[in-house]
Amino acid sequence: MDTITTKLSSEEIFNLMKQFITEVIGEEFVEEMDITPESSFTKDLEMDSIEIVSFSEKIKAHFGEQIDFTGWLSSMDLDQLINLNLGMIISYIEECQS
Amino acid sequence: MPIITVNGKSVHIQELNKEAAETIILVHGMFSNLSVYYFNIAPLLATKYHVVLYDLKSHGMSEKALMGYDLESMTNDLFALMEALNLQQVHLGGYSFGGLIALKMAIRFPKRINKLAIIEAPDPNDDKTRGIIDEYSREFLEHYVENFTDTTKVKMGKRQMERNHRMYEYLFYQTSIKTDMELEKDFFGSPAIETIKQSTLLLYGTDSNCLNAGKHLDGIIENASLIALPGDHNIPIQQPLVIAEALLNFFQEI
Repeated sequence: MDTITTKLSSEEIFNLMKQFITEVIGEEFVEEMDITPESSFTKDLEMDSIEIVSFSEKIKAHFGEQIDFTGWLSSMDLDQLINLNLGMIISYIEECQS
Repeated sequence: MPIITVNGKSVHIQELNKEAAETIILVHGMFSNLSVYYFNIAPLLATKYHVVLYDLKSHGMSEKALMGYDLESMTNDLFALMEALNLQQVHLGGYSFGGLIALKMAIRFPKRINKLAIIEAPDPNDDKTRGIIDEYSREFLEHYVENFTDTTKVKMGKRQMERNHRMYEYLFYQTSIKTDMELEKDFFGSPAIETIKQSTLLLYGTDSNCLNAGKHLDGIIENASLIALPGDHNIPIQQPLVIAEALLNFFQEI
Protein backbone atom coordinates (compact mmCIF):
# COMPACT_ATOMS: atom_id res chain seq x y z
CA MET A 1 0.00 0.00 0.00
CA ASP A 2 1.75 3.14 -1.20
CA THR A 3 0.02 5.43 1.27
CA ILE A 4 1.24 9.00 1.09
CA THR A 5 1.32 11.59 3.81
CA THR A 6 2.49 14.71 1.99
CA LYS A 7 -0.12 17.24 0.99
CA LEU A 8 -0.79 17.44 -2.74
CA SER A 9 -1.77 20.57 -4.66
CA SER A 10 -5.00 20.50 -6.65
CA GLU A 11 -2.97 20.23 -9.86
CA GLU A 12 -1.05 17.27 -8.50
CA ILE A 13 -4.31 15.59 -7.45
CA PHE A 14 -5.75 16.27 -10.92
CA ASN A 15 -2.73 14.67 -12.60
CA LEU A 16 -2.96 11.69 -10.27
CA MET A 17 -6.67 11.29 -11.11
CA LYS A 18 -5.83 11.41 -14.82
CA GLN A 19 -3.22 8.71 -14.28
CA PHE A 20 -5.77 6.49 -12.48
CA ILE A 21 -8.38 7.05 -15.20
CA THR A 22 -5.82 6.11 -17.86
CA GLU A 23 -4.96 2.95 -15.96
CA VAL A 24 -8.64 2.02 -15.68
CA ILE A 25 -9.98 2.75 -19.17
CA GLY A 26 -6.80 2.48 -21.21
CA GLU A 27 -4.54 4.97 -22.94
CA GLU A 28 -6.18 4.62 -26.36
CA PHE A 29 -9.48 6.00 -25.03
CA VAL A 30 -7.89 8.70 -22.90
CA GLU A 31 -5.96 10.05 -25.91
CA GLU A 32 -9.27 10.88 -27.60
CA MET A 33 -10.57 12.77 -24.58
CA ASP A 34 -9.96 16.22 -23.22
CA ILE A 35 -9.95 15.48 -19.50
CA THR A 36 -10.62 18.55 -17.36
CA PRO A 37 -11.81 19.07 -13.77
CA GLU A 38 -15.29 19.52 -15.27
CA SER A 39 -15.24 16.06 -16.86
CA SER A 40 -18.00 13.91 -15.43
CA PHE A 41 -17.36 10.21 -14.95
CA THR A 42 -20.43 8.81 -16.63
CA LYS A 43 -21.21 11.40 -19.34
CA ASP A 44 -17.80 12.70 -20.43
CA LEU A 45 -15.45 9.88 -19.51
CA GLU A 46 -18.08 7.22 -20.19
CA MET A 47 -16.93 5.17 -17.24
CA ASP A 48 -19.30 2.48 -16.07
CA SER A 49 -19.85 1.46 -12.50
CA ILE A 50 -17.26 -1.35 -12.41
CA GLU A 51 -14.65 1.06 -13.81
CA ILE A 52 -15.57 3.57 -11.09
CA VAL A 53 -15.06 0.74 -8.58
CA SER A 54 -11.53 0.23 -9.99
CA PHE A 55 -10.90 3.96 -9.86
CA SER A 56 -12.14 4.10 -6.24
CA GLU A 57 -9.85 1.23 -5.31
CA LYS A 58 -6.87 3.11 -6.76
CA ILE A 59 -7.72 6.18 -4.71
CA LYS A 60 -8.11 4.08 -1.58
CA ALA A 61 -4.83 2.27 -2.21
CA HIS A 62 -3.01 5.54 -2.78
CA PHE A 63 -4.38 7.63 0.08
CA GLY A 64 -5.09 4.83 2.56
CA GLU A 65 -7.01 5.84 5.68
CA GLN A 66 -6.37 9.49 4.98
CA ILE A 67 -9.68 9.63 3.11
CA ASP A 68 -12.89 7.59 3.23
CA PHE A 69 -13.63 7.67 -0.48
CA THR A 70 -16.21 4.87 -0.52
CA GLY A 71 -17.95 6.39 2.49
CA TRP A 72 -18.10 9.72 0.66
CA LEU A 73 -19.53 8.10 -2.47
CA SER A 74 -22.07 6.13 -0.43
CA SER A 75 -23.61 9.37 0.82
CA MET A 76 -24.56 10.27 -2.77
CA ASP A 77 -27.77 9.38 -4.54
CA LEU A 78 -27.89 8.18 -8.15
CA ASP A 79 -28.20 11.67 -9.63
CA GLN A 80 -25.19 12.88 -7.69
CA LEU A 81 -23.15 9.85 -8.73
CA ILE A 82 -24.06 10.39 -12.38
CA ASN A 83 -23.05 14.04 -12.19
CA LEU A 84 -19.87 13.37 -10.24
CA ASN A 85 -16.95 15.15 -11.87
CA LEU A 86 -13.21 15.24 -11.32
CA GLY A 87 -13.32 18.67 -9.68
CA MET A 88 -15.61 17.37 -6.92
CA ILE A 89 -13.18 14.57 -6.13
CA ILE A 90 -10.22 16.97 -6.16
CA SER A 91 -12.05 19.25 -3.68
CA TYR A 92 -12.92 16.30 -1.48
CA ILE A 93 -9.33 15.07 -1.36
CA GLU A 94 -8.09 18.60 -0.67
CA GLU A 95 -10.55 18.90 2.23
CA CYS A 96 -9.35 15.60 3.69
CA GLN A 97 -5.75 16.77 3.49
CA SER A 98 -6.36 20.06 5.27
CA MET B 1 -7.61 -4.57 -7.00
CA PRO B 2 -8.26 -7.75 -5.00
CA ILE B 3 -8.19 -10.66 -7.41
CA ILE B 4 -7.96 -14.09 -5.83
CA THR B 5 -7.64 -17.51 -7.39
CA VAL B 6 -10.51 -19.91 -6.69
CA ASN B 7 -10.48 -23.34 -8.35
CA GLY B 8 -7.82 -22.12 -10.75
CA LYS B 9 -9.85 -19.11 -11.90
CA SER B 10 -9.32 -15.43 -11.10
CA VAL B 11 -12.15 -13.92 -9.08
CA HIS B 12 -12.54 -10.22 -8.34
CA ILE B 13 -13.68 -9.68 -4.77
CA GLN B 14 -14.20 -6.69 -2.51
CA GLU B 15 -14.25 -6.98 1.26
CA LEU B 16 -15.42 -4.35 3.73
CA ASN B 17 -14.99 -4.31 7.51
CA LYS B 18 -13.02 -7.56 7.76
CA GLU B 19 -12.88 -7.24 11.55
CA ALA B 20 -16.63 -7.75 12.09
CA ALA B 21 -17.80 -10.98 13.72
CA GLU B 22 -20.41 -11.98 11.13
CA THR B 23 -20.15 -12.03 7.35
CA ILE B 24 -22.62 -11.15 4.62
CA ILE B 25 -21.91 -12.29 1.05
CA LEU B 26 -23.82 -10.49 -1.71
CA VAL B 27 -24.29 -12.00 -5.16
CA HIS B 28 -25.05 -9.81 -8.17
CA GLY B 29 -27.24 -10.60 -11.18
CA MET B 30 -26.66 -11.68 -14.75
CA PHE B 31 -24.89 -9.12 -17.03
CA SER B 32 -24.15 -7.04 -13.95
CA ASN B 33 -21.23 -6.94 -11.49
CA LEU B 34 -20.44 -6.25 -7.85
CA SER B 35 -20.79 -2.49 -8.33
CA VAL B 36 -24.55 -2.90 -7.86
CA TYR B 37 -23.72 -3.20 -4.14
CA TYR B 38 -20.39 -1.41 -3.88
CA PHE B 39 -21.44 2.23 -3.68
CA ASN B 40 -24.42 2.29 -1.31
CA ILE B 41 -25.62 -1.08 -0.07
CA ALA B 42 -22.33 -2.68 1.01
CA PRO B 43 -21.02 0.40 2.91
CA LEU B 44 -24.19 0.55 5.05
CA LEU B 45 -24.10 -3.18 5.82
CA ALA B 46 -20.39 -2.87 6.58
CA THR B 47 -21.17 -0.60 9.53
CA LYS B 48 -22.09 -3.83 11.36
CA TYR B 49 -20.87 -6.74 9.23
CA HIS B 50 -17.96 -8.08 7.27
CA VAL B 51 -19.26 -7.74 3.71
CA VAL B 52 -17.93 -9.78 0.78
CA LEU B 53 -18.78 -8.90 -2.82
CA TYR B 54 -17.55 -10.86 -5.81
CA ASP B 55 -17.93 -10.79 -9.58
CA LEU B 56 -19.46 -13.94 -11.05
CA LYS B 57 -17.46 -15.70 -13.78
CA SER B 58 -17.30 -13.73 -17.05
CA HIS B 59 -18.78 -10.71 -15.26
CA GLY B 60 -17.11 -7.54 -13.99
CA MET B 61 -13.42 -8.23 -13.53
CA SER B 62 -13.56 -11.96 -12.93
CA GLU B 63 -12.09 -14.42 -15.40
CA LYS B 64 -14.15 -15.60 -18.33
CA ALA B 65 -15.44 -19.17 -18.48
CA LEU B 66 -17.10 -21.01 -21.34
CA MET B 67 -19.18 -23.33 -19.19
CA GLY B 68 -20.81 -23.76 -15.81
CA TYR B 69 -23.68 -21.26 -15.56
CA ASP B 70 -26.18 -23.69 -14.09
CA LEU B 71 -27.04 -23.20 -10.43
CA GLU B 72 -25.06 -26.26 -9.37
CA SER B 73 -21.86 -24.84 -10.90
CA MET B 74 -22.54 -21.29 -9.73
CA THR B 75 -23.00 -22.54 -6.16
CA ASN B 76 -19.86 -24.67 -6.47
CA ASP B 77 -18.04 -21.43 -7.28
CA LEU B 78 -19.51 -19.63 -4.27
CA PHE B 79 -18.81 -22.55 -1.96
CA ALA B 80 -15.20 -22.61 -3.15
CA LEU B 81 -14.97 -18.85 -2.55
CA MET B 82 -16.21 -19.36 1.04
CA GLU B 83 -13.57 -22.02 1.53
CA ALA B 84 -10.87 -19.81 0.09
CA LEU B 85 -11.86 -16.99 2.46
CA ASN B 86 -12.22 -19.42 5.36
CA LEU B 87 -15.86 -18.49 5.99
CA GLN B 88 -17.69 -21.23 7.88
CA GLN B 89 -21.12 -19.63 8.01
CA VAL B 90 -22.46 -16.49 6.35
CA HIS B 91 -25.59 -14.51 5.75
CA LEU B 92 -26.30 -14.51 2.05
CA GLY B 93 -28.00 -12.00 -0.21
CA GLY B 94 -28.61 -12.23 -3.94
CA TYR B 95 -30.17 -10.02 -6.56
CA SER B 96 -31.99 -11.36 -9.63
CA PHE B 97 -29.94 -14.33 -10.99
CA GLY B 98 -27.83 -13.89 -7.83
CA GLY B 99 -31.01 -14.54 -5.84
CA LEU B 100 -31.36 -17.90 -7.57
CA ILE B 101 -27.77 -18.71 -6.67
CA ALA B 102 -28.49 -17.73 -3.05
CA LEU B 103 -31.56 -20.00 -2.92
CA LYS B 104 -29.55 -22.89 -4.35
CA MET B 105 -26.81 -22.32 -1.75
CA ALA B 106 -29.38 -22.54 1.07
CA ILE B 107 -30.66 -25.82 -0.40
CA ARG B 108 -27.24 -27.39 -0.95
CA PHE B 109 -25.30 -26.07 2.04
CA PRO B 110 -27.91 -25.31 4.72
CA LYS B 111 -25.42 -25.42 7.59
CA ARG B 112 -23.15 -22.88 5.94
CA ILE B 113 -25.89 -20.31 5.33
CA ASN B 114 -27.45 -18.35 8.15
CA LYS B 115 -30.03 -15.81 6.99
CA LEU B 116 -31.09 -15.48 3.38
CA ALA B 117 -32.08 -12.28 1.55
CA ILE B 118 -33.51 -12.63 -1.94
CA ILE B 119 -33.95 -9.51 -4.04
CA GLU B 120 -35.99 -9.76 -7.21
CA ALA B 121 -35.13 -13.38 -8.03
CA PRO B 122 -37.11 -14.27 -11.18
CA ASP B 123 -38.90 -17.52 -11.82
CA PRO B 124 -36.62 -19.22 -14.40
CA ASN B 125 -39.75 -20.68 -16.00
CA ASP B 126 -41.17 -17.24 -16.68
CA ASP B 127 -41.32 -16.44 -20.38
CA LYS B 128 -40.04 -12.92 -19.85
CA THR B 129 -36.95 -14.19 -18.06
CA ARG B 130 -36.12 -16.71 -20.73
CA GLY B 131 -37.19 -14.29 -23.41
CA ILE B 132 -34.29 -12.04 -22.50
CA ILE B 133 -31.96 -14.88 -23.36
CA ASP B 134 -33.83 -16.09 -26.45
CA GLU B 135 -34.41 -12.81 -28.21
CA TYR B 136 -31.04 -11.28 -27.83
CA SER B 137 -29.72 -9.12 -30.63
CA ARG B 138 -27.91 -5.81 -30.90
CA GLU B 139 -31.29 -4.13 -31.46
CA PHE B 140 -32.54 -5.80 -28.35
CA LEU B 141 -29.59 -4.51 -26.36
CA GLU B 142 -30.17 -0.96 -27.56
CA HIS B 143 -33.86 -1.26 -26.79
CA TYR B 144 -33.03 -2.69 -23.39
CA VAL B 145 -30.62 0.13 -22.66
CA GLU B 146 -33.25 2.71 -23.63
CA ASN B 147 -35.77 1.15 -21.26
CA PHE B 148 -33.19 0.56 -18.61
CA THR B 149 -32.21 4.22 -18.67
CA ASP B 150 -35.84 5.22 -18.05
CA THR B 151 -35.70 3.69 -14.64
CA THR B 152 -32.09 4.11 -13.69
CA LYS B 153 -31.28 7.39 -15.43
CA VAL B 154 -27.87 6.09 -16.48
CA LYS B 155 -27.19 6.73 -20.13
CA MET B 156 -24.65 4.47 -21.77
CA GLY B 157 -22.04 6.02 -24.03
CA LYS B 158 -20.64 4.47 -27.20
CA ARG B 159 -17.64 2.84 -25.52
CA GLN B 160 -19.91 1.41 -22.80
CA MET B 161 -22.36 0.13 -25.38
CA GLU B 162 -19.52 -1.65 -27.18
CA ARG B 163 -18.18 -3.10 -23.94
CA ASN B 164 -21.60 -4.36 -22.90
CA HIS B 165 -22.28 -5.66 -26.36
CA ARG B 166 -19.05 -7.66 -26.27
CA MET B 167 -20.01 -9.14 -22.91
CA TYR B 168 -23.50 -10.12 -24.13
CA GLU B 169 -22.07 -11.55 -27.33
CA TYR B 170 -19.55 -13.60 -25.37
CA LEU B 171 -22.06 -14.87 -22.83
CA PHE B 172 -24.79 -15.65 -25.37
CA TYR B 173 -22.87 -17.08 -28.26
CA GLN B 174 -19.71 -18.54 -26.81
CA THR B 175 -20.67 -19.83 -23.39
CA SER B 176 -23.20 -22.43 -22.26
CA ILE B 177 -25.30 -19.83 -20.39
CA LYS B 178 -28.41 -20.25 -22.57
CA THR B 179 -28.63 -24.01 -22.31
CA ASP B 180 -27.60 -23.93 -18.64
CA MET B 181 -30.46 -21.54 -17.86
CA GLU B 182 -32.99 -23.59 -19.81
CA LEU B 183 -32.12 -26.56 -17.63
CA GLU B 184 -33.14 -24.55 -14.55
CA LYS B 185 -36.67 -23.75 -15.68
CA ASP B 186 -38.29 -26.07 -13.13
CA PHE B 187 -36.26 -24.70 -10.21
CA PHE B 188 -39.20 -22.94 -8.52
CA GLY B 189 -41.35 -26.02 -8.84
CA SER B 190 -38.77 -28.37 -7.37
CA PRO B 191 -39.48 -29.82 -3.91
CA ALA B 192 -35.96 -28.77 -2.88
CA ILE B 193 -37.05 -25.12 -2.49
CA GLU B 194 -39.48 -26.18 0.21
CA THR B 195 -36.60 -27.59 2.24
CA ILE B 196 -35.21 -24.10 2.85
CA LYS B 197 -35.53 -23.43 6.57
CA GLN B 198 -33.46 -20.28 6.89
CA SER B 199 -35.07 -17.05 7.90
CA THR B 200 -35.63 -15.56 4.44
CA LEU B 201 -36.35 -12.01 3.39
CA LEU B 202 -37.89 -11.51 -0.06
CA LEU B 203 -37.52 -7.99 -1.46
CA TYR B 204 -39.45 -7.21 -4.63
CA GLY B 205 -40.57 -4.11 -6.49
CA THR B 206 -44.29 -3.35 -6.48
CA ASP B 207 -44.08 -2.65 -10.25
CA SER B 208 -41.73 -5.53 -11.04
CA ASN B 209 -42.76 -8.30 -13.39
CA CYS B 210 -40.96 -10.60 -10.93
CA LEU B 211 -43.30 -9.78 -8.03
CA ASN B 212 -45.31 -12.96 -8.61
CA ALA B 213 -42.10 -14.95 -8.25
CA GLY B 214 -41.66 -13.32 -4.83
CA LYS B 215 -45.21 -14.22 -3.84
CA HIS B 216 -44.61 -17.79 -4.96
CA LEU B 217 -41.45 -18.08 -2.86
CA ASP B 218 -43.27 -16.52 0.09
CA GLY B 219 -45.82 -19.32 -0.17
CA ILE B 220 -43.38 -22.21 -0.25
CA ILE B 221 -40.50 -21.11 1.99
CA GLU B 222 -41.50 -21.74 5.59
CA ASN B 223 -39.72 -18.84 7.27
CA ALA B 224 -40.03 -16.26 4.50
CA SER B 225 -41.38 -12.77 4.65
CA LEU B 226 -42.08 -10.72 1.55
CA ILE B 227 -41.64 -6.96 1.44
CA ALA B 228 -42.78 -5.15 -1.70
CA LEU B 229 -41.09 -1.79 -2.17
CA PRO B 230 -41.91 0.97 -4.66
CA GLY B 231 -39.92 0.27 -7.81
CA ASP B 232 -39.43 -2.34 -10.52
CA HIS B 233 -36.82 -5.01 -11.16
CA ASN B 234 -34.08 -2.39 -10.82
CA ILE B 235 -34.88 -1.45 -7.20
CA PRO B 236 -31.32 -1.93 -5.87
CA ILE B 237 -30.21 0.72 -8.38
CA GLN B 238 -33.28 2.93 -7.98
CA GLN B 239 -33.51 2.74 -4.20
CA PRO B 240 -30.18 1.46 -2.87
CA LEU B 241 -30.56 2.97 0.57
CA VAL B 242 -34.07 1.57 1.06
CA ILE B 243 -32.75 -1.86 0.09
CA ALA B 244 -29.68 -1.47 2.30
CA GLU B 245 -31.77 -0.49 5.32
CA ALA B 246 -34.21 -3.36 4.76
CA LEU B 247 -31.26 -5.77 4.58
CA LEU B 248 -29.57 -4.34 7.65
CA ASN B 249 -32.78 -4.55 9.71
CA PHE B 250 -33.35 -8.10 8.58
CA PHE B 251 -29.84 -9.34 9.31
CA GLN B 252 -29.87 -7.65 12.73
CA GLU B 253 -33.23 -9.06 13.84
CA ILE B 254 -32.83 -11.68 16.53
